Amino acid sequence: MSAVNRRLVLGAAAALAVAAAIPAWAQTGPAKGEPVYLGVSGPLTGPNAQYGAQWKQGFDLALDQINADGGIKGRPLAYVFDDTQSDPRQAVAVAQKFVADPKIVAELGDFASPASMAASPIYQKAGLVQFGFTNSHPDTFMWSNSVSQADEQPLSAAYAIKRLGLKRIAVLHLNTDWGRTSKDIFVKAAKDMGAEVVAVEGYMPEEKDFRSTLVRVRDAKPDGVMLISYYSDAALIARQIKQSGMKLPIVAASSVYSPKLLELGGDAVEGLFTASRYFPDDPRPNVQKFVAAFKAKYNKEPDAFNAYAYDTMILMAQVLNDVGPDRKAVREGLLKVKDVPSVIFGKATFDPETRRVAGAMNVELVVKDGRFQLYEGTSAVR
Amino acid sequence: MASWFDYTVNGLIIGNIYALLAVGLALIFGVSRLINFAHGSVYLVGAYAGFVAITHLGTPLPLTIVIVVAVGALLGLVIERFGLRPLQGYAHIAPLLATIGISFVLDQLVQLTFSPDPRALPSQLPDTRFQIGAGTIGSLDILIAATGLASAALLFFFLRYTRLGWAVRATAQDRDAAQQMGVDVNAVNRTVFAIASGLGALAGLLVGMYYNYIDPAMSLQATLKGIVAQVVGGVGNVPGAIAGSLLLGLVESYGIALFGTSYRNLFAFILLVVILVLRPNGLFASRRQTPPEPMTGTFIAPSRPLNIPAPALVAAAVAMAILPLVLPSPYVIQTLTNAWLYGLLGLSLTLIAGTVGLVSLGHAALLAIGGYASALLALNLGMPVGLSILAAGVITAAIGTVLVFPSFRLRGHYFSIATLAVGEIVSLVILNWESLTRGPIGLSGIPPLALFGIELDTARSVYWFALGALVVLAALQFRLLGSHLGRVLRAVRDDDVAARSYGIGLDRYKALAFAVGSFAAGVSGAITSHLYSYINHETFNAQLSILALTIVILGGMGNVIGAIVGAVLLVGLPEVFRVAAEYRVLIYGLVLLLLVRFRPQGLFGTI
Amino acid sequence: MKATVLAPLLEIRGLTRRFGGLTAVDGVDLDVGEGEFVSIIGPNGAGKTTLFNLVTGLDDPDAGTVRLEGRDITRMAPERLAALGVARTFQHGRVFANLSVLDNVLVGSHVRFRKVRPAWPWPLKLLEPFAELALALIRPPSVGTEEKRMREEALAILARFGDRLTPRKDNPAYSLSYANRRRVEIARALALGPRLLLLDEPTAGMNQTETAEMQALIGELKQSGLTILLIEHKLDMVMQLSDRVVVMDEGAVIAAGKPAEVRNDPAVIEAYLGHRRTGGAAGAVTEAVS
Repeated sequence: MSAVNRRLVLGAAAALAVAAAIPAWAQTGPAKGEPVYLGVSGPLTGPNAQYGAQWKQGFDLALDQINADGGIKGRPLAYVFDDTQSDPRQAVAVAQKFVADPKIVAELGDFASPASMAASPIYQKAGLVQFGFTNSHPDTFMWSNSVSQADEQPLSAAYAIKRLGLKRIAVLHLNTDWGRTSKDIFVKAAKDMGAEVVAVEGYMPEEKDFRSTLVRVRDAKPDGVMLISYYSDAALIARQIKQSGMKLPIVAASSVYSPKLLELGGDAVEGLFTASRYFPDDPRPNVQKFVAAFKAKYNKEPDAFNAYAYDTMILMAQVLNDVGPDRKAVREGLLKVKDVPSVIFGKATFDPETRRVAGAMNVELVVKDGRFQLYEGTSAVR
Repeated sequence: MASWFDYTVNGLIIGNIYALLAVGLALIFGVSRLINFAHGSVYLVGAYAGFVAITHLGTPLPLTIVIVVAVGALLGLVIERFGLRPLQGYAHIAPLLATIGISFVLDQLVQLTFSPDPRALPSQLPDTRFQIGAGTIGSLDILIAATGLASAALLFFFLRYTRLGWAVRATAQDRDAAQQMGVDVNAVNRTVFAIASGLGALAGLLVGMYYNYIDPAMSLQATLKGIVAQVVGGVGNVPGAIAGSLLLGLVESYGIALFGTSYRNLFAFILLVVILVLRPNGLFASRRQTPPEPMTGTFIAPSRPLNIPAPALVAAAVAMAILPLVLPSPYVIQTLTNAWLYGLLGLSLTLIAGTVGLVSLGHAALLAIGGYASALLALNLGMPVGLSILAAGVITAAIGTVLVFPSFRLRGHYFSIATLAVGEIVSLVILNWESLTRGPIGLSGIPPLALFGIELDTARSVYWFALGALVVLAALQFRLLGSHLGRVLRAVRDDDVAARSYGIGLDRYKALAFAVGSFAAGVSGAITSHLYSYINHETFNAQLSILALTIVILGGMGNVIGAIVGAVLLVGLPEVFRVAAEYRVLIYGLVLLLLVRFRPQGLFGTI
Repeated sequence: MKATVLAPLLEIRGLTRRFGGLTAVDGVDLDVGEGEFVSIIGPNGAGKTTLFNLVTGLDDPDAGTVRLEGRDITRMAPERLAALGVARTFQHGRVFANLSVLDNVLVGSHVRFRKVRPAWPWPLKLLEPFAELALALIRPPSVGTEEKRMREEALAILARFGDRLTPRKDNPAYSLSYANRRRVEIARALALGPRLLLLDEPTAGMNQTETAEMQALIGELKQSGLTILLIEHKLDMVMQLSDRVVVMDEGAVIAAGKPAEVRNDPAVIEAYLGHRRTGGAAGAVTEAVS
């Protein structure tokens, strides 16, 4: 039995070693030769699998363009996407694998903070850059181009209070670390701007029934509702607000910005206010180019997750072209890179202190006639 | 004050929805004594079948309903015929696990076919709404209520006035007697599964339309709430299931009213535990003299365990210890470290579920208690990490045993459901007790593993630490099993009535075993939290509990070596399958099903 | 009807148990003297097994008392009764299926294990489980000696069954034939070192040869001076072994006395004629086991 046991383990190890050398979802373009690899750690199965799928769409679109333009100094750029289900244990195992594979020059992901943070010490020790682009936990210390909630929520508050004139706000938020952190920042910003937060309700991600929650909200007599949600829960809440007969303006965090909000919410989200870091009708050429290319390839409009993934791949390509495919150099490259064309930021540069990008776009939007449109009177504002 | 009326209406509305699920579950339990964990998957398939019919075939609503019910009934027949019928006569745990495996397979198939993105399922009814109190109800609410009542009424007439209905009732009361009286028990099973699954699929369609929202994750929630509603009302009791569902909806609604939305599920599961402990037959069950539970001793697959001589075990341990020196790949070392930690979990559950027969479905909660305890001791009190891990083990043993103790009087399925509820409650308490646990934000900056002040910062040192803990606890467990105490624990599992009659106090020994097992689980959770430096309430989730149970079955219930090998295979295999990552969970469910069907005693046999 | 004997070991007075509208045990009085062999007979559903359950603590009576050597044991838990020397077998045979034959018997002697089960007064009593655990893991020499002694005693008990059980001592109980499982049950009961042995239909489902063997064994137990209470349907066996016979019907005692007296009692004949089921001895109506 022990022999079988050992053989099993060694056999598995051998299979692993082989699997590690073969990237499963590598893309190659007309740029020739041995590809330069990025490791992607994220959810392909499990509860967040839909976001992993959206990442891939963004990546693949970016790679089409990057590799058509000659890739990284003539070599194609590719990625290896390993499924972690956003589970910290698996993220750590994947981190070990990436760190041990010399072909991987930088890492992108994970989707959720616990997974990223668990893997972080491994990347740090190995000197492999870990680039998160959709997580925003306050204690993270990796590189990121996601807009931190510290920047974003005050913008939402300003929209709600200063532009829309709300004074008594009921906040509904996802009871996750992202939702909680965002809620805390929003509430503080709202108070600073002189409004009152009359109700705060946290809900679980799988919650579908909000009727009783809305009774609580109604009893607090708000004049508006702020949703710190993703598009699926926002759609559910908006529908139930409509069904309950409450007529209140709804403002939602930019995370709801997605065609899925319209699909799932139907006419219940008509009149919903939100903002976005990018907007397909944004006249800036690089945004338009992105939207047109995405539509051509996938036959649908891109959402924020697609845009972030696309941006990230473009950014990494720039850095790699600047400094070459070397792990240490990538770190330096991120510090030095300037004004990378970005769908989200216009031009992206990293703040060396926070390792984040400052100055994201803020486009105020409203849902009208079943589409996202610019809120009257604004154009894209920095 | 007017709000209370609205809360009541809302409670009844959501209870209405739960009723659709609970009735199907009650029917199935009534005849086959089986808690059908795959019911939520049938619900899911029904929703997506409706989605395909409406969006791709453009069928009108009545036709859609017919299609969905037919699909559900067919699926129920398939599940019964291929998943469960071959397991008749096997130990009772086999069909329980089979339905869990089936649910994995079905959920994954749906996800692979339709993607995990939520889809809209437009209602095809006119959107008329009626004012009730300050809120409204719509045509779908009425349709759902009508469906619930109609199916209850139809069932009533079917059971009362048709021959097949009598056959169903007879089988429910006493399967063997019914068979001896000439009832075709298989036909009865088929019929009931078909009816219940058709109803479940219809529920999926209606609820999907209700929220205009379907996604593959709705399966698990549906199963859980359905089970809670059913138990509250009286397991196997159809009118009771409806009443229980309404009560559940009300309790949740009032819970939200008083405490806030985060507390919804907490109230649901507390209600479940209270009912189980005070009135395990449910609130509305008729007073019965004999418990409707299978006799104990039927939860284990009898088999002769594989006998591994001690020198071979020692050699294996040594081989594992020198492995990092021979094969220095950090990836392999990391994967095996994970395996050792799962092995500790496996040791824990194989003692509790295997040796003593307490099949716990909420074991991940023990990991969470251990993880948080050690992290908090190290973070807030500055306790050295090695000591905090030991302390966490003891704390987990104490808290875990206290939480489960009231459930010891429950038997069979009831006990398992109680542990499921306790597990969920622990997770929700961790989420909501923010002053202690920081809620969803979690604990970060947890000090890394250290022994006697020396930080263990290489993959190898962590590997040896975990392996060491595993070997020590496995050796202790062997020693325990070989003693008179080990005999006593197995006697408790095999026949608790006989055990009592020979002087064995059940509560005492169950508590003892649970405490010992919880220690190992607590240590595993503690090591994990220091390894990953960050934990939150989702780190140790319900899926881990099922994974733990599968490890234990795979290895052989009560079998120490089996638990360890099972952990290695179940942690290593997904890595090997990483190439087919999108199919991993599907394969996992199939493996579970095959095991259960062809080798329920696992690889190494029950001890 | 009363049956009195000097110095009863077991004294039952007015024991009653009702289930809803049904009175399963109706005001039963019964005495069993030390060393006596008393059989309880009666048609199926008469309440015999329920009576056993009431006496051994698996069920609680609605009225009445049970005394063991003068001490009130009504409603005492089965675990405690085992420690007082009351052992029983079950109507449908309840062995520990996954334990070996030898282990089954060793579990039977659980109450006689003193070294691994320290008995402390309150409040130290709360620490007993920890002590048991520690002793199981550490196993000082006294524990090892006791285990050895207990094994020898268990093997001796198995030897009483000829070569039925001894060659199979390490086999799991589920692999045994039905008759052998019933034998294991009795071996287990003997391992407890009982003062009072209750046997519930020990030959149910056995053929003539097996029944004769079992009868011989029970006869030996009687010879050794054990106090035995037997439920049986096989009247020959009952008549041959018993010192006294008690007849129950519909929960009540309708006759009691020496075997010959009872055999000719008109009430008894009426009960059997009036209630005889086809295949009476082998009939199996499930009586409520709590």
